[in-house]
Amino acid sequence: MNKWWWLLLIILCWSAAGFAIFGARQNQTCTDAPPPTQVTRIVSMAPNLTEILFMLGKGEKIVGVTTDSDYPAAAKIPKVGTFWQPNIEAVISAKPNLVITLGFEQQRNLAQRLKRIGYNCLTVNIEKVSGLFDAIEKIGAATATQSQANLLVSHIKKKLDELCASVGRDHRIKVLYVVQRQPLRVAGRDTFINEMIELAGGENAVGPTVHKYPPIGAEQVYACRADVIIEPTMGQKDLTAQQDSALEYWSKFKNVPAVANKRIYVINGDTVSRLGPRLDRAVEAIAKCLRPELFEN
Amino acid sequence: MVRQMSIIEANKLSFAYREAEALRDLSFEVSRGSFLAIAGPNGAGKTTLLNLLCKTLKPKSGSIKIDAVPIESYSTKALAAKVAVVRQEVLPVFGFSVIETVLMARTSHYNQLGFETELDKKIANEALEATDTAQFALRALGSLSGGERQRVFIARAIAQNAPILLLDEPTSFLDLKHQVGIYDLLKTAQLEKGKTILAVTHDINLAAQYCDEILLLGADGNYHIGETKDVLSPEQIKKVFGVKTFVGRLGQEKIFIPLGKFAKGSRLTVVEPDSNKQKNLWHMPP
Amino acid sequence: MEGLLTPKKLIIRFVSALIILAAVMFICSFVGTESISLKRIFGPADLQTAVNPDYEIFVHVRLPRIILAAIVGAALACSGVVFQALLRNPLADPYILGISSGAGLGAIIAVLSGLSWTLLGRSPIAVFAFAGALGTVWLVWFIGSLAQKPGTIGLLLAGVVVNAFFSALIMFLISVAKSQQVHATIFWLMGNMAEEDFLVLWLGAGCVTAGILTLFYISPQLNALCFGGDDARSMGVNVAATRTIAFAVAAFITAVAVSLSGLIGFVGLVIPHGVRLALGPDHRQLLPIGAVVGAIFLIIADTLARVVVAPAQLPVGVVTAIVGGPIFLILLIKHCRKVGWSGK
Repeated sequence: MNKWWWLLLIILCWSAAGFAIFGARQNQTCTDAPPPTQVTRIVSMAPNLTEILFMLGKGEKIVGVTTDSDYPAAAKIPKVGTFWQPNIEAVISAKPNLVITLGFEQQRNLAQRLKRIGYNCLTVNIEKVSGLFDAIEKIGAATATQSQANLLVSHIKKKLDELCASVGRDHRIKVLYVVQRQPLRVAGRDTFINEMIELAGGENAVGPTVHKYPPIGAEQVYACRADVIIEPTMGQKDLTAQQDSALEYWSKFKNVPAVANKRIYVINGDTVSRLGPRLDRAVEAIAKCLRPELFEN
Repeated sequence: MVRQMSIIEANKLSFAYREAEALRDLSFEVSRGSFLAIAGPNGAGKTTLLNLLCKTLKPKSGSIKIDAVPIESYSTKALAAKVAVVRQEVLPVFGFSVIETVLMARTSHYNQLGFETELDKKIANEALEATDTAQFALRALGSLSGGERQRVFIARAIAQNAPILLLDEPTSFLDLKHQVGIYDLLKTAQLEKGKTILAVTHDINLAAQYCDEILLLGADGNYHIGETKDVLSPEQIKKVFGVKTFVGRLGQEKIFIPLGKFAKGSRLTVVEPDSNKQKNLWHMPP
Repeated sequence: MEGLLTPKKLIIRFVSALIILAAVMFICSFVGTESISLKRIFGPADLQTAVNPDYEIFVHVRLPRIILAAIVGAALACSGVVFQALLRNPLADPYILGISSGAGLGAIIAVLSGLSWTLLGRSPIAVFAFAGALGTVWLVWFIGSLAQKPGTIGLLLAGVVVNAFFSALIMFLISVAKSQQVHATIFWLMGNMAEEDFLVLWLGAGCVTAGILTLFYISPQLNALCFGGDDARSMGVNVAATRTIAFAVAAFITAVAVSLSGLIGFVGLVIPHGVRLALGPDHRQLLPIGAVVGAIFLIIADTLARVVVAPAQLPVGVVTAIVGGPIFLILLIKHCRKVGWSGK
């Protein structure tokens, strides 16, 4: 039995030593973060964050972006991984003094790890329109561009108000926003896309669901009686060709009002699929599908 | 004359698998250094008895004493020092070599680091020599023939240095040469090393030739134990095994050939030898 | 006696393996999407940002990851060795008795419950996965012992049943979960080597090493167990105690590994076979050397996962399967050709 006691002793000593050596660092946060005015090297981990930074005038201070940050075109910056799989080594190589991430699991982990190493990180949640405005203000505070941030926020709000006024509130048009065809997935009520639809004077054809982007069956497509069906594209593919193929695809759902009236639209996905500072343009794109007659000029 | 203490004492042993009774009120004693055969029809409980004797099974009622100490009070290690078992052929999934297999019998004697001492190696080597398997020492167990493997398992049991050896059908699946070889080996262990041997066997003739005593277990729970020449008789065989036999004689022992309905010999009328006749019916080689 | 394992032989082999491990760790720490060099690591910090990125990457990204891979690889390999011995089944792996589905269930419950408390800085997923793994093993052990006296078939069947049931539960929970949570869980389940902080690595290394040492202490008994419980008992081995200790310790180190890195397959299946084919089935050798080989294997697999499709990263489980599968086939063919397996 001797060897078992020795083993226990060794384990206890080892653990104690571990706590002694590393325990103190548990709560270490970034103590020497540079003040916002001296943030000169920024890494942005999402395309909408990149757009915000550019609009705040900090475009040339960005030293690293994710692979899908493609707007504005000036964003020809070294890539530090993808949206879902950030590459921490690339982030570190970019020698940032501010890293901005979104709030979902993988990016939150990245922020935590970077903070533990001692980097200055800012995590923002942009899942709702209100979150977008919050994020712009936070980023403004972190980069000493509060005034630009406030301007940006009020500009977006003003544009949205104008749009709301022009489309009116009386009659809400039912919209089915399809994000994926196989299997058929739509944007549910609990999404920022839903907010955009409502801002554009529409109403989501599907009711409240458990999932944010629920898969639905043909039965529900008929039941929802959508007036308009909108599909986003990704990238700059040929819009008219995609429009034609969409019409063809949906023609099998003959009894849905949107199909009967040929109100199926394919819009450029870039602005709509990310909740960013071009929100007003995104809502406008949707509003154009709902009430094309209002935007004739 | 002081009667030698029995090394194994079983008293009113009973065991049942669920409802099926295997042994009922079995009592017997085995003297130190004797060779006992255990025979009987299938399902009579021979393997069960062996498992009871090495504590793999617990009896429903009754008691067992090994060296005058109740078997319950033996720890696993202490019992292993008294009883070694050779079961029906077990091939491990992983390829241990012969010497590794034999050395495993010494597991309880390893040093603190878990390695064999020089004494262990010496004992293992001697066991290999005794069973004539030393030439296979480094070969994998799976590469040997059935007979060779059986000898290795017996070597392992010998290396355990226990006074009692239990074997479960050590010669089934073996050819004639190896059958005889195993029994010669066991007899040598008994005579030279004084081991007490209990062997379950289907071969009553070999049992008669090699064993001192035989325990005949009947399927109905009846049993007979005694010297082979006394217990084995054609009537007894008929009663226990339910089969007619042709009986021959070899020295003090009898030989039994079971004859079924269509056996060639069953239609011949044979004069059964009795003790008066001088002539054998069998030609004995010089 | 030639061919037999002696302490000296074991030490020589073990130390050689450790040297190879050190070399692999050193080399792999310089492989990655960013190139770093030994000189620059010890060089001065960058003037503008007061940070030496080479040093940061080496110490805070590469090193923890390599150490983590070593710990998990060693734990899974040893656990595989033990389960193969306990179940006397060459197809056994550390997850065969429900650990994988238990950990997965724990993980998804953690995600769905939205808890955010942490233990030692570990996310709730890791903690729940650990608890789920251990709880499931206990459940399987319990069911197996109800079925019949502790025999391997009872355990195997219980493991299969529990795995099936929990997998169904996991599917159900995934289908009602919100998409982001699902994504997070599945990502975790596929096995990932995220850099951990040093305290966690230190404690994890301690747990796993203690576990492997314990298993090493009982390896003579494990050897005997390969002949079956009855035979082992006749040779004087306390079968029940050996089985319980081996089972509990192997399950524990697997649970630690799973909580650190998700489910990584193939390591626990292939490494035991590989080491056994090369060096023989003696557990006194299989355990220490298997641990080191497992560590080396997983470090290499993780390095490949990091660079093969850069800048994206493959899940480590994918690499271990792709690399481990063919290796396993080769080993199998070699074994069929070889006559015997005795140690050299």
